[in-house]
Parts: sequence; structure tokens; C-alpha cells
Amino acid sequence: MTNEFLPPGLALQKADERIMTLNVGPQHPGSGHMRIIVQIDGDYIVACDPDPGYVHRGEEKMAEYRNYITNIPHLERPVIHDSCNVLYPYVLGVEDLLGIEVPERAKYVRVICSELNRCIYTMYWLAIYGIFLGHSTMFMWPAGDRELLIDLMEKISGARVTHAHFVPGGVRNDLPPNFEEVCLRQVNYFEKRIREYAAVFYDNPILISRTQDTGVLSREDAIRLGVTGSVLRASGVDYDLRKKEPYDVYEELDVHSNVMKEGDSYARSKIPWLDMLESCNIIKQALEKMPKSGSVRVKLKPNPKGKGFNSVYKRVESGRGSLGCHIVSDGKVEPYRLKLSVGSFRNLIALPYLLKGEKLGNMPSVYWSLNYWPVEADR
Amino acid sequence: MGTATGIIRALNSGIKHIATKRFTLRYPEEKLKFVGDGYQFDPSTGVGIAGLKGRHMLFHDHCTGCQLCSIACEGVAEAIAMVKVPDLQKQNKKSIMPQIDYGKCVFCGLCVDACPFYALYMTNDYELSSFTKEGLIYTPAQLQVKPYVAQDSEIIITKWGATHG
Repeated sequence: MTNEFLPPGLALQKADERIMTLNVGPQHPGSGHMRIIVQIDGDYIVACDPDPGYVHRGEEKMAEYRNYITNIPHLERPVIHDSCNVLYPYVLGVEDLLGIEVPERAKYVRVICSELNRCIYTMYWLAIYGIFLGHSTMFMWPAGDRELLIDLMEKISGARVTHAHFVPGGVRNDLPPNFEEVCLRQVNYFEKRIREYAAVFYDNPILISRTQDTGVLSREDAIRLGVTGSVLRASGVDYDLRKKEPYDVYEELDVHSNVMKEGDSYARSKIPWLDMLESCNIIKQALEKMPKSGSVRVKLKPNPKGKGFNSVYKRVESGRGSLGCHIVSDGKVEPYRLKLSVGSFRNLIALPYLLKGEKLGNMPSVYWSLNYWPVEADR
Repeated sequence: MGTATGIIRALNSGIKHIATKRFTLRYPEEKLKFVGDGYQFDPSTGVGIAGLKGRHMLFHDHCTGCQLCSIACEGVAEAIAMVKVPDLQKQNKKSIMPQIDYGKCVFCGLCVDACPFYALYMTNDYELSSFTKEGLIYTPAQLQVKPYVAQDSEIIITKWGATHG
């Protein structure tokens, strides 16, 4: 059997005394649910081959056997911390297929939920980024402050994670009474807390010396490789779907996209933090502009059917970049085909290019700064 | 900013937290407060009522044995099975009611959305652990019981930081 038929990592390598092959993962705490095959020469990485697929569970195929409503709970499983944003393109697409007009208040509730979820995801990501770099304070603080927003999501949807809150035609239930006041108070405190992270983490000279000028992705390379989200914006490309292709009520809100020019690990780790501050700003605007009363859900038939054979593609800006959903309908209660196009998988493409020539000790900081979520990439 | 100043600033922002209050919730001793009385659904308007998605509650005098909750669960978790019940209800001709396996349930609440007779709601009960798998299967008689849930603390934000008071 020649090398080309073998999966990566099992292929026979040409013997070289200097080069050593290391498997980082899939059980290694520093890799998530995936394997990174690195070849090192001394302390320097010569080649790197990310090998995702360890937690593949066939979400796309499963969706073909369930109707448009029962698809909701299992489609949010890939990223349970960011479940509203994962459902968002699916719900927008199904609304387009079924021809439903969503009430104004539901659109604002969706924006609030998706911004809260973006912060919850980013705090979790930041906690892991902190512990990867051996900064245990940065593990404790985000993990604790996340609770403020999880509490808000629990008040809205009734679940701490996997909210199953978005449905075609609006959201499942209205906001609880007195929610605006509680939300404003907790989001204000949350914003004050994450501003404190600057002194302990982002302005910390130890972090800067470890992450600055490591894994530099130039503007041209970022565009050529097709990375999205915070990785793209850290390389100096101003591309935020909330601003470029506004969905729901984002065009009525003042959204500022954060851009940095450096393209190194430091910039990639700072952009999500700046995005959280921007999310707090968007939540406050949405709470102010939201209609105070009104319906939040259009009543649907029990088993809605798509109209004839047509397809729709919708995408939103999730915590990890552009997240697209392509739904093909053939007039039945189930989708004919559903394809999720996720930001994590796109960002992973950059990893072999970034790690070449880096020290092995820089691998965790470069790898996790790509804002990569293994379960979402495998779907 | 020099290296030494940066490190001193980082240490200083950590030291300030000695004076702030503890944020941790001491879980078994104190329990979190929830909004409302569990997730409910109003079939006439088609909109739910906010609340925690916990263990279900079944109203025997409303359940007609129509199996819509079981059908809704089919594509999600297959946790709901329809079983025979001994007590005779006049609206329930077939004498069947849902039995829920909490080893499979994902607490999405789509069964509550599916019920058109105001019979199935969710409650604030979330402590469902059991030593056996059979202990997680709740019969219609067990689902009828309204749980008592202690709720005594919520997030309070003061000048000295947030705390679960």
C-alpha cells in the first residue's frame, strides 16, 4: 500500500534522524477533540498537519430525516455555548423557504440572544486560551463572569446551554417580566469586569512577549486562505457580516467592527475581547430600540412544508466567523439537503501555514488564537 | 509602558480582588432563583411563557392521550413513551398517558409546544439524579406531582462586586 491511500499520520515517513513526528491529541488537553501532527526539528516546527474529524456525528445527514422543527435541538449541538448563533442561519433560511414574516419584537429578542451567546462563547474560549498559556487567573475570571450572561439566557430561554430558543417564525417565548432592567444591570457590570481583563491579561508584558509576532498571517494570505471572523479582522480586513450583510435588525443598530493590522496571535486573541465590548454596546442599543410589546412568534402549522423544489443560503456572523446554512427543499416536511458551512473549519486551514518555523512552545497560543472549535468543524 | 510597570499593574488588579465579595454559588446549601414557574406554552396564542425547562408536569384531567408529545419527541430524543394508566378519565378514551425517560430527554421543551390541551408543562425541578437507569423513567403518576424547589439566591450587584446573595 502506498502512502497516498493511508490516512495522515499513518503514512510511512522517510527516515530522518533530525526530524521527529509528534501526535498532539486527540486526547491531549492542548488540542481539543482533534489531532495535530507536528514534525519538529529540535524545538522548531518543520511541518504541521491538523487532522480533524474525531467528533464527527453526521449532523447534516441527520437533518434529512427530521422535519423543520425537530431539527432545532440537534442542530445546536455542535457549539452548545453558541447555540443561538448556530441556529440563526438555519432559522433565517427556513423562514425564507416557508415565506414567513417575523414580528419586529422577535427580531430584537433574537439579536439580544445572539449577542449574549457570542459573549458566552468568547468567555469560554478566553478561559481556555488563558489556561493554555498557563495564566490561571484568566481561566477563573472568564469562567466566573460568564455566569452573569448564562443567568440572563436562563431567564430568557429556560436553559443554561442548548437553549433551543429560535424557531422559524420568531422565538419560543417572550422575555420574562422586568427583564430589561436586570439585563441592563448585569451587562453593565459584565462590561466593567471585562475591561479589567486588559490590565491582568492584554497589557501584561508576559502575555505580549509570548504572543506578539508569533504566527503572523498577512493580509494577502488571510484573503487567499479564506479565513473568516476574528482571524480575518486581526489581519486588517474589515469584514463583519453584521455590517456588510445585515440580517434581521442589525442595519438599524450601530455596529462597529474591530480591526487590527498585526495579524499575529496577540491581535487574534484581542479581537474577540474587543468584540465582546461591542456586543455589550449592541445589547444596550437593542434593549432601547426594542418595541415594548407585541407578538414574538408567528403561529405555524404543526408540520410546515417547503414550497416546491428550491434552495436558500443564509449566513450570519457567529463567535467564530461566518456561519452559513444551505437548505434545499423538495416540498416535503424534511429538508432534502442541509449543509452547514462553519467558520471554525475555514480558520483551521491557516494552521499549517502559521506554525511552520515556530517554536513548539508557541503551538498552543497560535492554535487556540484561531478561534477554532473542534466539534463545530466536524459537525 | 515598561515591563516592570506592566507586571505591577497586573498584580495590583489581582490584589484588588481580596476586598471584593465572593461570586461563587455554594450550590447544595443555597440554590438559584428562577423566573416564573417553569416553561409553559399557550396553544391559543402559540407563544410560550418564560421559565426553567426542568422536569415535566402532567395534568391527568387534561391529557387526552393524543400522542402529539410523543410524536414531537420522535425526531429529538425518543424519550416519551405512551403507557396504559389504570385511572379512568372521561376525556382519555384510550387511557394512555406519556411516560418520560430522563436518561434520554434533552429538555428542549418541544413536547410542551406540541400539547394542544394545556396538559404538559415544565417545572423548576432540575435535581433528577438517580442511582439506577430505571429511576430516571418517570411514570404518569410521578409526573403528576408538583415538585417543591428551594430558591433562595440570585445575582446581586453591589459596589463591591457581584455576589450570589
